[in-house]
Amino acid sequence: MKDSPAAPTDDALLVLFANGEQDAARTLTWRLAPRAFGVAFRVLGDRAEAEDVAQEAMMRLWRMAPDWQPGTARVSTWLYRVVLNLCLDVKRRRRGGMARLDDVPEPADPQPAAVERMQQGLRMDALQRALMQLPERQRQAVVLRHLEELSNPRIGEIMDISTEAVESLTARGKRALGRALAGRREELGYSDG
Amino acid sequence: MAERDKDVTDLEDLFQAARRQGIALPDGLEDRIIADGLQVQRARQGRSASPRRASAGRVRQFLDLLGGWPAMGGLAMACATGIWLGFAPPQALPDPFGFVQSGDTGLFADDDLVLAMVEE
Repeated sequence: MKDSPAAPTDDALLVLFANGEQDAARTLTWRLAPRAFGVAFRVLGDRAEAEDVAQEAMMRLWRMAPDWQPGTARVSTWLYRVVLNLCLDVKRRRRGGMARLDDVPEPADPQPAAVERMQQGLRMDALQRALMQLPERQRQAVVLRHLEELSNPRIGEIMDISTEAVESLTARGKRALGRALAGRREELGYSDG
Repeated sequence: MAERDKDVTDLEDLFQAARRQGIALPDGLEDRIIADGLQVQRARQGRSASPRRASAGRVRQFLDLLGGWPAMGGLAMACATGIWLGFAPPQALPDPFGFVQSGDTGLFADDDLVLAMVEE
């Protein structure tokens, strides 16, 4: 954990960054880059592409900093929106090709026993593959709601849709994920009892 | 129905595990992003500093010597007033073009001046 409890807001850090404060660049990176990369990876299913998207999104944040008006919106909301737009650009460049799933996230600490770790990796792989089967907008909504834990109104702000539309997308997305994973319960270590 | 509940439970469990686990940033990405930020900062500071450097040249020094831009404004106004008075003098003042055309550059006629001195 790199932030202290009384750490400045993202808004304040962005203003400090625009004023040439170098530590603000570091703190904003620690806070926002993992979110940008995480969402990009969940949406794209490819670590290299997600890495490019996260770096480009953060670059746009740095360039936008002098024009940022504190209090008008959340910095992270702005960043999520940029990330999703960049992901769409990547998808367009792929020209409808299948998503690559060569890389799946490595299990992080705490380290469970080897078998459990393998099973955890299998579950994350299964979740990512199921996510990649969802239509684009459903996947974005599910990732923001259930993995980033954002509220529906905030997701609506990011995706530029109504809260009801977000609810509909996440509900359909979850049903589709449930169907995609239904046949793999035993394989993923979920008991029927 | 019970099967569907199990699917939902499994899904929530998966989401929770994914959130707990997170996704590690690739090696070097954090450093590259910070380096980008610092580079943008340096470029911006360079841009904002360059006009100051440029304006610290001889023109600026000359302007400062005269009293800066406010003094230049006053000077320009004085010049404009002088030109205007030259072309459209108030009636109380003699017409400068009249002097030029008549070749008479004196304010008083010679006779009047002599007369005035004699009277004193």
